[in-house]
Amino acid sequence: MIDFARVQKELQECSKEIDTSGIRVSPKSDNLARLTGIIPGPLGTPYEGGSFEIDITLPDGYPFEPPKMKFVTKVWHPNISSQSGAICLDILKDQWSPALTLKTALLSVQALLSAPEPDDPQDAVVAQQYLREYQTFVGTARYWTESFAKASSLGVEEKVQRLVEMGFADSLVRSTLEAVGGDENLALEKLLSS
Amino acid sequence: MEHVSRGSTICTYYQKGICSYGSRCRYEHVKASQSDSSASSSSMAPHQSLTSDSVPLDHTSTNKIVSAECPGSSRTFLPPIKQAWNLESRHHELLDNGDFVGSRSVNPAEHSICSFAAAGNCPRGEKCPHIHGDLCPTCGKHCLHPFRPQERDEHIKMCEKKQKHLEALKHSQEIECSVCLDRVLSKPTAAERKFGLLSECDHPFCISCIRNWRSSSPSSGMDVNTALRTCPICRKLSYFVIPSVIWYCTPEEKQEIVDSYKAKLRSIDCKHFNFGNGNCPFGTSCFYKHAYRDGRLEEVVLRHIGAEDGETVIAKNIRLSDFLGDLRIR
Repeated sequence: MIDFARVQKELQECSKEIDTSGIRVSPKSDNLARLTGIIPGPLGTPYEGGSFEIDITLPDGYPFEPPKMKFVTKVWHPNISSQSGAICLDILKDQWSPALTLKTALLSVQALLSAPEPDDPQDAVVAQQYLREYQTFVGTARYWTESFAKASSLGVEEKVQRLVEMGFADSLVRSTLEAVGGDENLALEKLLSS
Repeated sequence: MEHVSRGSTICTYYQKGICSYGSRCRYEHVKASQSDSSASSSSMAPHQSLTSDSVPLDHTSTNKIVSAECPGSSRTFLPPIKQAWNLESRHHELLDNGDFVGSRSVNPAEHSICSFAAAGNCPRGEKCPHIHGDLCPTCGKHCLHPFRPQERDEHIKMCEKKQKHLEALKHSQEIECSVCLDRVLSKPTAAERKFGLLSECDHPFCISCIRNWRSSSPSSGMDVNTALRTCPICRKLSYFVIPSVIWYCTPEEKQEIVDSYKAKLRSIDCKHFNFGNGNCPFGTSCFYKHAYRDGRLEEVVLRHIGAEDGETVIAKNIRLSDFLGDLRIR
């Protein structure tokens, strides 16, 4: 049985410290077993400026079992699946401790964003890129942040769709948008000039 | 407190030297030294009977108390039993005359102090025929006998211990369990209002939370010794949890709690050992008592086996496989 009294306390504690940590946790519905966490991308990383949504499911044994967390926002990171959002982090698995809270777990996820562990990857493709072509990795990660983790970039799929409708190939549109930082007009100019 | 568990027929107020019922008390007046060897003796019983002015004394019971309760050390103060009886009757006459202190020539240490004053307030005040005890600085009651240094020390010590316990309890109220995030001593049921101390570190948990965590089934890849048995906060490995109703401030206090817990367990028969009929998985390191029905304790025999690498290991149970390990089948 989930210790809901504790979850409630955690939520209160978390809302008190939003200004310092920037981490938000809110229940999805009346059922406190399903929550949404939001972490800001750490400064000085390709994730800076983004805010990442994380889906949290509390297992029956919480807090004696780790909460299940995965990224809803698409993110380009060696330890986070670019497809499913699954997170590879020890404290969410065998190193969980009941003294950890949703807030501290989310802080750890945030720390993972600034310190990737490519030797213990969740997404092999990203990890390869991180190890072999670091600059490309940084570019992609920044583009993904711009595209998926910013409120202003929420319409990125629409931009892609509009450009594709103009007759450009989908992959070319995406890479061009990525290169110009998500600006639709710049991308169009570039596509036309190439 | 600790007195309660020992049997309800013994008057605990008497043991502290402040039973206001004197010989009328329904409970047995046994000195602390009788049932608890740690407390030193005080020679209250005969004096109680000497000065109890309202009760006709039961001769036989007085005799019994006097003869049973007096250890050798305090016997020197005592008049012979018969004389005590005589003194008692004389005492009554004197009291009736309202003349008490002046005509008495007995050692002042033999008078018991006024039990009303000791309990907090004597209605007779200055006119009280009994000695009013000195003020105890800790409990604020007039319960220190001016002429019995041993009893004074005993009371002061006990009072200070009680005071310390109260302070520790007050301090413990604020302590939160890091797992359920509740104040441990504010939990709804009495069974939950207990701390679980870890032997190797000083992080507070409630007993149910820490036991729950340590006994939770390890999920995939979780190692018992690196995850479950470690402190959830500092991850230091502790092999056992000690229940306690108070939280400690100093390492000495913690040690005291641990020692008294172990001593308590050692007095309980191990259900696995079952008086020698069973087999305790904890063997010689079991905290419970391993004794046979006749009271004989299990002998600790450590069997040493030569291990393959040339060192010796201590075997808990001798298994056939220990010897077959070296055997090579041709």
